[in-house]
Amino acid sequence: MTKSLRSVHFFVTLAWMLLAFWMIFLYAPQELTMGEVQRIFYIHAPLGWVAGTAYTIVFFSSVIYLWKRSPVADDLAHASGEVGFIFCSSLLFTGPLWAKPAWGIWWTWDARLTLTFVLWLLFVSYLMLRSYVSSPGRAATLAAVVGIIGFVDVPIDYMAIRWWRTQHPQPVIAGGEGSGLDPRMLLTFMVCVGAFHCLFSYLLAQRLRLGRARREVSALRRTLALRSPEE
Amino acid sequence: MYLFVAFSALWVLFFIYAWSLSRRQARLQKELEELKSKAETGRPLAPS
Repeated sequence: MTKSLRSVHFFVTLAWMLLAFWMIFLYAPQELTMGEVQRIFYIHAPLGWVAGTAYTIVFFSSVIYLWKRSPVADDLAHASGEVGFIFCSSLLFTGPLWAKPAWGIWWTWDARLTLTFVLWLLFVSYLMLRSYVSSPGRAATLAAVVGIIGFVDVPIDYMAIRWWRTQHPQPVIAGGEGSGLDPRMLLTFMVCVGAFHCLFSYLLAQRLRLGRARREVSALRRTLALRSPEE
Repeated sequence: MYLFVAFSALWVLFFIYAWSLSRRQARLQKELEELKSKAETGRPLAPS
């Protein structure tokens, strides 16, 4: 990606985030029972969607890496794992901040919350594997295996509030009869989902650039180390 | 209060992460330039 494209990506992300914030605080109506604190929903739920997207990218990239041994796929899986970890951590941080005033408790081990915590642990395991296994090829292979097996958690986490009765609210998007949002709330929510995905794609592109530079440095180091002093 | 903490902590976290990415990128870029100049001059790499 050229420098000008990076700038465009940055400014689009910034503008989209500003629009999302304007809608959260000035456009979306106040929810009747929870009041102002319900506005956490507009960041909390999109963070969850992005965390799911990030792990899905880890999954597909890991499959491609194991199949084709493509370093590009490995870089993408690693980058998405790292950026996804940031989003999943934010999800787990904003959830209790909404749960405490809404439910009176910070946390409960219901199906949705537990599966989201498992997703966070998967991101952590994935990144730890990449850091602690010294051989880069072995680290990439082991991480790809974790990336593929761990993906089982993503669809179950998504369906948890549909399959089981949970403390976590039932779905308001694609939740069937009786569910739904005020049109202004829905529009705000969709803009926020787009804005957070745009932010994710920006950070992912930056992290990919870092991965490429790291690979280039390693290759150059190897070339120079192989060169004999007499040359 | 909860709303303020959620929004501000979120932005602090994202700014710290973006800042750490740019720092790591700058460090690698510097290392890359040093290595390229060593490769051009033909000097061997000093043991790290």
